[in-house]
Amino acid sequence: MPSVNPTGGPGGPGATERRVVLEASGLRKRYGQLEAVKGISFRIHEGETYGLLGPNGAGKTTTISMICGLLARDAGEVHLDGNPIDVGRVAAKAGIGYVPQELALYPDLTARENLAFFGGLYGLGGSALRSRIDDVLGVIGLADRSRERVDRFSGGMQRRLNIGIGLLHQPRLLLLDEPTVGVDPHSRNSILESIAELGRSGMAILYTTHYMEEAERLCDRIAIIDAGEIQAEGTRRELIGLIGGRDTIRLAASGDLSKAAEAASGVEGVVQAGVGEDALELVVRDARGLLPRLLAAVDAAGANVRGVEVVEPDLEAVFLHLTGRALRDSAD
Amino acid sequence: MRHALLIAMKDLRQRVRDRSVILLSVIAPLGLAVIFSQLLAGATEFHADYVVADLDRGSVARAFRDDVLGSLEDGGVATIREVDTEAEARAAVESEDAEAAFIIPAGFSAAVGGGTTASIEVYGAVQAGLETSIAESVATRFGDGVASVQLARATTAELRGRPLTAEEVGSIVTAATTSDPALQLVDVDASLRQLSWSTYFSASMAILFLFFAAQIGITSLFEERRGGTIARMLAGPVAPVSIILGKAIGAFVTGIVAMTVLIAGTTLLIGADWGPPLGVALIAGAGVLSAIGVATLVASFARTAETAGAASSAVAITLAIFGGSFSPVSQGPEIMSSLSLLTPHAWFLRGLADLHGAGSVLTDALPAVLVLLVIGLVTGGLGFGRARRLVAVG
Repeated sequence: MPSVNPTGGPGGPGATERRVVLEASGLRKRYGQLEAVKGISFRIHEGETYGLLGPNGAGKTTTISMICGLLARDAGEVHLDGNPIDVGRVAAKAGIGYVPQELALYPDLTARENLAFFGGLYGLGGSALRSRIDDVLGVIGLADRSRERVDRFSGGMQRRLNIGIGLLHQPRLLLLDEPTVGVDPHSRNSILESIAELGRSGMAILYTTHYMEEAERLCDRIAIIDAGEIQAEGTRRELIGLIGGRDTIRLAASGDLSKAAEAASGVEGVVQAGVGEDALELVVRDARGLLPRLLAAVDAAGANVRGVEVVEPDLEAVFLHLTGRALRDSAD
Repeated sequence: MRHALLIAMKDLRQRVRDRSVILLSVIAPLGLAVIFSQLLAGATEFHADYVVADLDRGSVARAFRDDVLGSLEDGGVATIREVDTEAEARAAVESEDAEAAFIIPAGFSAAVGGGTTASIEVYGAVQAGLETSIAESVATRFGDGVASVQLARATTAELRGRPLTAEEVGSIVTAATTSDPALQLVDVDASLRQLSWSTYFSASMAILFLFFAAQIGITSLFEERRGGTIARMLAGPVAPVSIILGKAIGAFVTGIVAMTVLIAGTTLLIGADWGPPLGVALIAGAGVLSAIGVATLVASFARTAETAGAASSAVAITLAIFGGSFSPVSQGPEIMSSLSLLTPHAWFLRGLADLHGAGSVLTDALPAVLVLLVIGLVTGGLGFGRARRLVAVG
């Protein structure tokens, strides 16, 4: 695993002094012939937002399910504040807040009733519960709609409530499994702001996503996960550093893009060539010097180039570099 | 236990808001009980209007008129009106003022006393088949009595060496024909003998629809699993058994509330007489348990909420048919009575009937309560045991 932190420790400044909240080591899970998770290990510290970035089917949800004790693991261990977490250790799960990928709400109850029910399950009651409900409703921006039935909410509002339930008992660790899937841009922005605020408040967060922008925006450290394995781990800067002084060129093109990608990869200076949606995604050294030869090679392969974009290296480029595939393409 | 109670309370809150649950648990059974009891009330309460034309005025005729027909009137089975002539009697029937007429011809008593053939004519309305048949039966039974009197008279005269007087014949006829009730309407079903029709249909519909309410516990497990809320609970400090227990408590309370509303509603609306409150409470509680148990066991074999609901409903209807919810089992073949003992419905109705017998005490209903409890605990234990897969973590 290419990693700037081979020990799994945090890379952020001062992170090593912070207390470890979650330690997952050697997690494995197999479904029949398919090994969905192949020995994943990582740590999350107090106040740290840790991202699992990878396409659908990479093993993110399986990993998060093993961490919160919803799924029995074939191998590995999970510790929360040093205490083991397992499917049978019911009481230990109280320190975790889980926000599933799909909405897990009661649509015929109000927002407040949903929060009160789940809060009660975590041992909250009376004025403490009412106070926490008010706080959470404020955080998720639903204070003025709290007495409305959830089935009258927009998709974005339901998503926010879905997150709010996970926050109610002030967990030591918040697990967010792709919480913005299917959400409109405005609501997504609101959700991301809420999560960033939680991170700043000192909560440890594990955030899974296949959206590179979300991982870059929210996460202190990111693990790039593919095919059940962590391919690389570190801060955004550290991960981008893995591909050296390289640029990413995106060629919007039509025609046989696979053939064009093959031709492009033969050009000296092209490190990685992949096919995205109506485009070639290329990781290269010295984009400006390389561009004329690259365009000629692609043109010779029969592709019709409609546009050229040279972009700064980002996690998309890192994913391409590590897996040979575009994250955007894999995520669809 | 706290988690189970929270889950049960949440379920109850959802059910209060679910109109289909209220419709199925309360409104439908209440409505059907009212309709059935009103439809069948007339068919189960026999009453006839008869006229009698006594053209004889003798002692035997008087015995028939006063004692035989009088007993019908005293028993509330018939209203008897006397007319003076045969023509008036026939006219009363044809004008539908009476369903049948008894015409006692002149010389009837003398003929009986003399040992010759005597007859009473029954003139019945075509459209009043049952009332006419009963009138014929009454007359025939009287005729049988007369025949035995004539035999007794001949024997006595032989022994005493003189014929009986008209008064002696009349008193013997009265004794012979009224020693038993003149007419017996025999119920063939013990439960009918003890439960009124309004109570029978109220109880039948209550136990039938209770099965629909009872399946809500397990079908909501399927729905919550699909909706992700089960997983959300299991990701927290909630044991799987708490979820199962919460669903069972919620279903039980739903059933008890529905049953209580039905008992109160049918009592107020159609005058159903359920019986002593403590006994009814025991039977209702055991009935609710048995319904939850059977519905849960059936639904536990399903894979989705929809198939679970459909399977439970099919079984509920089938058990209701065999258990006598639609018609008393004794009116069917003998095997139906035997098969009914396998259904909670029959035991529920039997338990209520046991509370209505003459001199019944609470303990009379205990066998039925015990059977219902056993059915509920066995099927419920198996059903919820099987349903554990719905709250299992992978």
